[in-house]
Amino acid sequence: MEINVFRDKIFTEAKDMGITELELYYEKENQFSCEIFKGEMDGYKSSTVNGVSVRGLVEDRMGYAYTEKLDDESISFLLNNLKENAALMENEPEEIYPGDERYEDIDFYSASLAEVTPEEKLDFLKEVEKKIYDYDSRVIQTDMATLQDTTIEKAIYNNKGLSLKDRNNLLIVVFSVVVKEGEEIKSDFHVEITQDFHSLDTDDFAKQAVENVLSHLGGKTYETKGYPVIFKNIAAASLLDVFTSSFSAESVQQGQSLLRGKLGETIASELVTLTDDPFMKESIESRTFDSEGVATRKTAVVNKGRLETFFHNLKTAKKDGVTSTGHGYKPSHKDTIGISPSNLFIEPGEASYEQLYESLDEGIIITNLAGLHSGASAISGDFSLAANGYYVKDGKIISPAKLMTVAGNFFDLLHDIEQIGNDLKFTPMGMQGNIGSPSLKVKRLSIAVD
Amino acid sequence: MLNKSLVEDVLSAALVTGGDFSEVFVEDKYTNNMTYQSSRLEKSISGRDFGVGIRIFKGLQSVYAYTNDFSKDGLLQAANTAAKAIEGNQTQRNILLPAEKRMVDTNHPVKFAPTKVKKARKLNVLRKANEIITNYDPAISQAIIRLLDEEQNVLIANSEGTFVEDKRTRTRLVNVAIASNGSDMQTGFYGPGALQGFEYIEGLDLDHYAKESARIAVTMLHADPAPSGKFPVIIDNEFGGVIFHEACGHGLEAAAVAKNNSVFANKEGEKVASDLVTYIDDGTLKNEWGSINIDDEGEKARRNVLIENGILKGYLIDKLNGRRMNAASTGSGRRESYKYAPTSRMTNTYIEPGESTPEEIIANTESGIYAKYMGGGSVNPATADYNFAALEAYLVKDGKIDKPLRGATLIGNGAETIQKVDMVGNNLGHGAGMCGASSGSVPVNVGQPMLRVSEITVGGREA
Repeated sequence: MEINVFRDKIFTEAKDMGITELELYYEKENQFSCEIFKGEMDGYKSSTVNGVSVRGLVEDRMGYAYTEKLDDESISFLLNNLKENAALMENEPEEIYPGDERYEDIDFYSASLAEVTPEEKLDFLKEVEKKIYDYDSRVIQTDMATLQDTTIEKAIYNNKGLSLKDRNNLLIVVFSVVVKEGEEIKSDFHVEITQDFHSLDTDDFAKQAVENVLSHLGGKTYETKGYPVIFKNIAAASLLDVFTSSFSAESVQQGQSLLRGKLGETIASELVTLTDDPFMKESIESRTFDSEGVATRKTAVVNKGRLETFFHNLKTAKKDGVTSTGHGYKPSHKDTIGISPSNLFIEPGEASYEQLYESLDEGIIITNLAGLHSGASAISGDFSLAANGYYVKDGKIISPAKLMTVAGNFFDLLHDIEQIGNDLKFTPMGMQGNIGSPSLKVKRLSIAVD
Repeated sequence: MLNKSLVEDVLSAALVTGGDFSEVFVEDKYTNNMTYQSSRLEKSISGRDFGVGIRIFKGLQSVYAYTNDFSKDGLLQAANTAAKAIEGNQTQRNILLPAEKRMVDTNHPVKFAPTKVKKARKLNVLRKANEIITNYDPAISQAIIRLLDEEQNVLIANSEGTFVEDKRTRTRLVNVAIASNGSDMQTGFYGPGALQGFEYIEGLDLDHYAKESARIAVTMLHADPAPSGKFPVIIDNEFGGVIFHEACGHGLEAAAVAKNNSVFANKEGEKVASDLVTYIDDGTLKNEWGSINIDDEGEKARRNVLIENGILKGYLIDKLNGRRMNAASTGSGRRESYKYAPTSRMTNTYIEPGESTPEEIIANTESGIYAKYMGGGSVNPATADYNFAALEAYLVKDGKIDKPLRGATLIGNGAETIQKVDMVGNNLGHGAGMCGASSGSVPVNVGQPMLRVSEITVGGREA
């Protein structure tokens, strides 16, 4: 069934079932990906999928249901389950939003990206792979060589007359290169995210991917103790990613954020300004309206160390007596309304990455972190994470360190940021690429080397 | 779910460019997801996932397409798009499936299908768990209890004549407790699950599971930061098995082995672990969370011996990687949904019990760390470097359990750690988890008895 037909049918039937207000959220995703291994196509994937979710008010309580099959059976499935779910709800009611007066007029879709053919994409991967093998004899293979592009359309319709649509597309290329020297094996990722396929340079890609992983060979062990630490941009962004939920008003109201009661207070070094920009180019998370239909806007969450606002949706805003910041969010049609930033980043400073470590007598540089989903708690702020990186002495990188752990507390770390680099980059974690940071110099953290 | 002649047409269309194998996977899944938080029902959403995945092989080439346009035109178009990517010669094959599709005989009985159980009845369980957690201690500031249930109906057909349907019913209750003293918060977690109906949820001993989550949170609130350095580490049973899931299990999957991206590749018959280690993956365990009747390529589940008394005996193999390895499937091809091509994955993986009692293991440890409950972790299969976090840990001093420790992350190399297992207990237990990899997030059990590793690097905040 076409989405328009499905929509009209369900709005009519809902009325007959006593559902007074109804919203339909629609998502359509087209994805293409290909992989190669030793010059041969090793994986090829293409897809088109729809998802529809409805939420509606029954006796002032909101019920939810979703489907991926657009047929008559699903219409009764959705409405019956919506009613059964609504009848049980005990939380404060959500509202169906009539809409804002004005929305930004931006198309996050690149037509030229959509024109790149599968053959061009495969050829690009093959060329990069070949250049990776040619670059250094220590390269033994790639354990990932993937290109993926995604187009997403999101739309909201409700029976208060709201009708909104955004679309985004993006291409991501990931190589993981394995190198071996003696008995030592190392691997690392290199990722590029873009809307401009033709801006990708195969020589440059191969060089960065290989040099990055080679720099981890020959790891030495160092004393387990506290060190000044530099988180390189991507590592810093992936750390920030884990703790973004602390800035959500939902977490705050539910007693799951240590930032509760800290509005207007200094929560970070005065060097730190944390910005959320929903209109950023080349991001799959950019949006002109949020998942409740509220118009989005650029927000300074932390300004020079001062906590200015939390991220709000309509429900949390009502509870705090403020207006929604346009951060109502559902990760997909399968979820209820929560809260999430769009593109969140720490504003860059002046120093280059090199300048950050040149000033260190002794310290550790962390280039990437692992175990973020298990070794860090957004609730307590505590983290103890596996890390790769280098040892620095007298302002120079001496050698890579063997596998390390870095441990501390995120809320303490915010105060201990002593210098911020000028090299803002967005993390490819989860392939969303919507959390960014420049490199950060932190006063002291506990480091253990394996 | 799709009629036979349409499935045959799609399988045939997929082979027109010279593919030598085609497969159709149809999924129709009903789910409910309820969250009880701040002592009330905060979330309740019901859904239907539906889609079709089409896969083609030609030698080692593999192509996958999926859609939820289930019209004949939509499916044939998806098959054609996929076929275009195959580099071969035009051929015409008419795939004929057996007259009757096979409905799998289940070894995992379900009494109450969760889709048929009233949500009000489910809510009672959530309320009870909430009451147990919130009443445990004044320091408990929040209880979050999630009830997840799903009924996944699949149809799997391929050009080799497989034509089978299966129904997988899973239920899980996730208890999260948060303890707080104002400036500090700690969480406890316990999430039992089963390949079973709602009778599993109603039969759960909440006085154990819900209360343990609360006890962990409160204990960790009063814990000192863990030290950093190298220590003997005692890891308890059930979810403690996550260490070998990460450190060894992933390295034994054909997805890594076939391309030599694993330290365990080409080591069959060689000694890779301590003599005390026998490591099994068994998808047939009755009603266990990680169990399956058939895998997502239509192959029957089985018990696979991976390591026996320290000797590597076998790998977990799916069809595609089996081609590269010249080996048969071990019933290990799994995927999260129709949105993923299957690959080799674990089911219920565990270390067989040994001789020692838990008391002996602790009494024999002069100084070390005891990890009572583990959180999650991850591994780089190419290097076998792993990391994982202890949810609840203690210092061991003079053969006795001493003070609780928080923030202990264990790191190391799987290939080395599995050689350093020097005591294995007799209290095998399994724990439920979700495992993420290239074919998505699938339910797995990890398991082991209590065991001791002679040395692991622990990273805590006390340098």
